[in-house]
Amino acid sequence: MRMTATQRVDLWLRQATPIALTLLLAILSAVPIGVPGYTAVVPAYTAMAAFYWAVFRPDLQPPFALFLVGVLQDILVATPLGMTALSLMVVHGLAVSQRRAFLGKPFVLAWFGFVLIQALASFVAWILASVLALRPMAPEPAVFQYLVTVTMFPVVAWVFVRIHRYVVR
Amino acid sequence: MARRPGSFTSVAQPVRSFWSRFAFALLLAGAFALMLLGKADILLVERFRTGVADVLAPVLEVLSRPAASVSDTVAAVRRLRDLRAENERLRIDNGRLERWQHVARRLEAENKALRALTNFVPEPNVAFITARVIADAGGAFVRSAMINAGAHQGVRRGLAAVTGDGLVGGVVEVGERHARILLITDLNSQIPVAVERTRDPAVLAGDNTRLPRLVYLPQNAQVLPGDRIVTSGHGGVFPPGLPIGVVTSIDEGAIKVMPYVDWNRLEYVRLLDYGLDGVVKPSGGNPQFSVMGPERSDQDRLLGLGPR
Repeated sequence: MRMTATQRVDLWLRQATPIALTLLLAILSAVPIGVPGYTAVVPAYTAMAAFYWAVFRPDLQPPFALFLVGVLQDILVATPLGMTALSLMVVHGLAVSQRRAFLGKPFVLAWFGFVLIQALASFVAWILASVLALRPMAPEPAVFQYLVTVTMFPVVAWVFVRIHRYVVR
Repeated sequence: MARRPGSFTSVAQPVRSFWSRFAFALLLAGAFALMLLGKADILLVERFRTGVADVLAPVLEVLSRPAASVSDTVAAVRRLRDLRAENERLRIDNGRLERWQHVARRLEAENKALRALTNFVPEPNVAFITARVIADAGGAFVRSAMINAGAHQGVRRGLAAVTGDGLVGGVVEVGERHARILLITDLNSQIPVAVERTRDPAVLAGDNTRLPRLVYLPQNAQVLPGDRIVTSGHGGVFPPGLPIGVVTSIDEGAIKVMPYVDWNRLEYVRLLDYGLDGVVKPSGGNPQFSVMGPERSDQDRLLGLGPR
């Protein structure tokens, strides 16, 4: 089927939405919003996005693009270069390999999957951060951030579902 | 609709999945390589980091404005609600401050007279750079903030960043249009400080929690909850006397300090340029934080002498 130029641009924009959204979330997670206690517990928005799109549209989340978003977030947040990139890769890889378990099932199951996968990704990030700093990181902030992230997941996923349904299609 | 992987043609599938697996492994290796490069402190990596951050600084600046105005509105509503109580508090405060002003005037006069007597070398003049916080990186592993002033505005590494309340941190990375401040709560932040009441020297070490710890106190130091902690000026990193916080709790081996800075309202910071170079000078094998009278060590620092 031949497509007109407008259709092609339209399709391209729709298909670029997931990764563009992840990029936006990476930037937003560094913006100060002045909510008390927020900076200490910025949820890992990009991890949520990586998981969601890896499960529902892995074809629209090329690992390399996700990797670049991770590196960008590392630069913005001043974490060791490559750390967020790696933990996003872990989330993406695991989610893609297990996606059949979540497709067509109730949302709670996907949430549970995210809880497990993000636990592993956070742990990997904590280990890496500790190794790179040459001393153990305080575990409390990492655990707290993890808890906030998995608690926030349904809310953010709700937004993803809308975008998935009406924009990406 | 979600596309099932089964929709690929059966011939292309194995090739594709092999390639994607290989690419994935390559990316994992790439992430590790980046971490090693970053750890090795290579100038190129540093330049890349600052370069990308410089490009993104304007984006962050635009994005942080509406966020700041939202939080401003919330704060304004809260202020309206507390107006009466605040008025009362300010009236009491004002009375107290007037008494302090009186004391300060007297001390200033006394100081001037004593300085004239002792040929005291005056502190260098301070230059200010005020900048807005455009990114406020939290997360679990770093405490830092990005500001919208860089080398263009005269920002240098090692400048002290303060708010009206107290010390925020020091500049660790400078780009053309942005700079990054390592907050005093970050794991990598270690600041020479002194207990104001006793002048005991110590180091304030961040641990990524809200309350940094006081370490390397002298054996006989007597620190009490409520003691003010100020920068000591040792090591030439920060100027002496900047307020940092108060001691909140003293447990077995851990003295926690509550910083004065309100981290939730970190909107503007002021960078203080005292003309210090931010580099610890070699001191002939002497311990860096020797227990010494404050007058002596201050004077030594100002006269450019090492500790004896």
